[in-house]
Amino acid sequence: MTAEVFPGGGLFQRGASAFAASVPADPADDGFFGPGSVTWRLHADLSAPVSGLRSLLLQALHPLAMAGVDQHSQWRDDPAARFASTAAYVLTTTYGDRAAAQAAADRVRKIHQWVRGTDPVTGRDYAADDPELLIWVHAGQVDSGLAAARLYGADFSDADRDGYVAEMTAAAELVGVPPRRTPASVAELDAYFTAVRPELTLSPGAADTAQYLTRMPAIEPELTDIWQVIAAAAVASLPDFARELYGWQDAIAPGRTEVRQVLGVLDAIYLGEPGVLEGRQRLEVRMRAAESAR
Amino acid sequence: MSESFLRVSRGLAAVRLAARGGARYAANAPRLFARAGEQRQALRDDLALRTAQDVADTLGTMKGVLMKIGQLASYVDDGLAPPARRVLGRLQDSVPPMSPELAAGVIEAELGGAPETVFAEWDPQPIAAASIGQVHRAITRDGRAVAVKVQYPGIAETIAADLGNVGLLRSLLRMAVPAQDVTELIDELRERVGEELDYRREAENQRLFAAYFDGHPTITVPKVVDELSTGRVITSELATGARYAEMLDWSQEEKDLAAETIYRFTFRSLYELHAFNGDPHPGNYLFEPGGQVTFLDFGLVKHFTAAEIAPLVTMVETLCIEGDTDAFRRAMEDAGFLEPGAPIGTDQVVDHMALFYDSIKVSAPRTMTGAYASSVARRYVDFKSPLAAYAKIPRSYVILQRINLGLFAILGEMNATANWRAVSEEIWPFVAAPPSTDMGEAEAGWHAAACAAR
Repeated sequence: MTAEVFPGGGLFQRGASAFAASVPADPADDGFFGPGSVTWRLHADLSAPVSGLRSLLLQALHPLAMAGVDQHSQWRDDPAARFASTAAYVLTTTYGDRAAAQAAADRVRKIHQWVRGTDPVTGRDYAADDPELLIWVHAGQVDSGLAAARLYGADFSDADRDGYVAEMTAAAELVGVPPRRTPASVAELDAYFTAVRPELTLSPGAADTAQYLTRMPAIEPELTDIWQVIAAAAVASLPDFARELYGWQDAIAPGRTEVRQVLGVLDAIYLGEPGVLEGRQRLEVRMRAAESAR
Repeated sequence: MSESFLRVSRGLAAVRLAARGGARYAANAPRLFARAGEQRQALRDDLALRTAQDVADTLGTMKGVLMKIGQLASYVDDGLAPPARRVLGRLQDSVPPMSPELAAGVIEAELGGAPETVFAEWDPQPIAAASIGQVHRAITRDGRAVAVKVQYPGIAETIAADLGNVGLLRSLLRMAVPAQDVTELIDELRERVGEELDYRREAENQRLFAAYFDGHPTITVPKVVDELSTGRVITSELATGARYAEMLDWSQEEKDLAAETIYRFTFRSLYELHAFNGDPHPGNYLFEPGGQVTFLDFGLVKHFTAAEIAPLVTMVETLCIEGDTDAFRRAMEDAGFLEPGAPIGTDQVVDHMALFYDSIKVSAPRTMTGAYASSVARRYVDFKSPLAAYAKIPRSYVILQRINLGLFAILGEMNATANWRAVSEEIWPFVAAPPSTDMGEAEAGWHAAACAAR
């Protein structure tokens, strides 16, 4: 959207330029997943905005992860930019060639070295490059991709869902998780959440972040009504334990059709941003070629 | 069948079709898929919609509805918010054609056989995009060259479902046309789009116009081939002619003649058929020298009842012929344009409204301009005028804004000169003046027969 309509550049404008910048025009290779992967399809699914918001809501429930963000990131100063850079990271590691994905991961790992401290809630020390925390963040993202797609996205078979979890272990390794420590199937992912459950708590930082995310003042003002539907969908798609921690047990789930209609409108607005349609078409052509080669 | 054979036979069909006419149409078709060059065309072929699921992914979840809002909003307001305009433009670019197989599947489902068996010749490559479908050339088994409009499979159900989300439509229209009363627009949108999804209705409208203008010296409406038309397929005679953009380079004399034909078509339809083709889009006209115009696409036809037409007729008659401003005001009130008893002087009312009648005020040659067209369009939705608090556009007349935005904009762009008043007097039922131009003379025979048939 133009500057005069969305002064400062809102969440969607920034997100769109992140997408356009992350989809390569002339990739050296197919990257760590490739056009035939479930990951490519799922990360391009209409449900992605719900998945993104659900990820952040879920990830905030680990007090050490939350403390790392709260004590080391100034995301509240420019939330749209922070979200866009997170989106760019996921998109680059998904669709970029190996060099681009590796470079993005290296940058994140370098930053993580400096993210250390003591969590005021639990009194425990934390380090962002601790594999346990990296796995938590990773699992939150993967689980959210699956949950949002199941409720609001295209059809993904059980084999697709397992395939996605397995494929995404590559992303965890990129950011520094040692091989074979990341859940590699839906069953392993579910078992992981059961095991990690005692660690989770609603810290003041998490409560505050969740309130911010569901109201989303960083979004283009025209889109606030629409965001409310996305937020309700993200909340409805959270696991029961997360909704209980947040006190959202009674939140009403919006219907699939309504959410998809809203997502379609967002998608259309997104397509109006420079480079998005071209990026989509480049990916679609490669995915179709991979499909017909199979 | 081998790939290369398919390509060759496709090429042959295209050559034969070209020989039968329509090549020019193909070369100049609006919003042609190939418009951005060869490479883009190749890309779009790679992206062709292959299944009904592809159609739903591309045009479902409000996107088809958004495109329709764009189409409608571009007529009812000259100030579609620029970001909204860009979004809608990109959205249109994002819709690829159906793959030849998918289009063939629709033909098979609708007409009971593969295109190659239902038609003598079938060009699997579409020649133009229609808003919810695409147009293919073909030759019927009895040898007629035809244009076959094929609707995207599943699109009717998808759009109908999306039109049910009135709350979301309201938010969208507020974004797209901030200055408009969105309630009237939503009703209008739902009704018009609902109609457009059913090609049977469009075919019926096209038949009505084709029958009425049959034998007209300069107006052509392609005839519908009934046995090859269904709810999702319309087959009609293949029309030929120059595209609007090409015609704009013709001599002013030719442009004036074309403009006169468009003007006669519009107002003969309105006053005599009580119907208005609500899509007076340059892309829906094909031109030949001598004022010959072919009118395409009857997807957005508004039918008026006699009671709806009557006040419009009275308004023209009282203001332009009788100069009775009190009667004019009463007619406006009867039509619902003006609240009865509004505390505002009749001279002020006339002042405000006179602009709409400016081109037919006096009997003399008058040149239409773009500036006039946009001033008329702006005044129709002017919320700042002293009348604004008491004026409104009743829903049945919302579509008439397209006369302002479509017809006058086109005539303005053509810089068309004519004695519009004299032509109007021929058409006005309360005057029914004798022919005032050569074209008027030429159509007299047709008109007498058309009246007799009515």
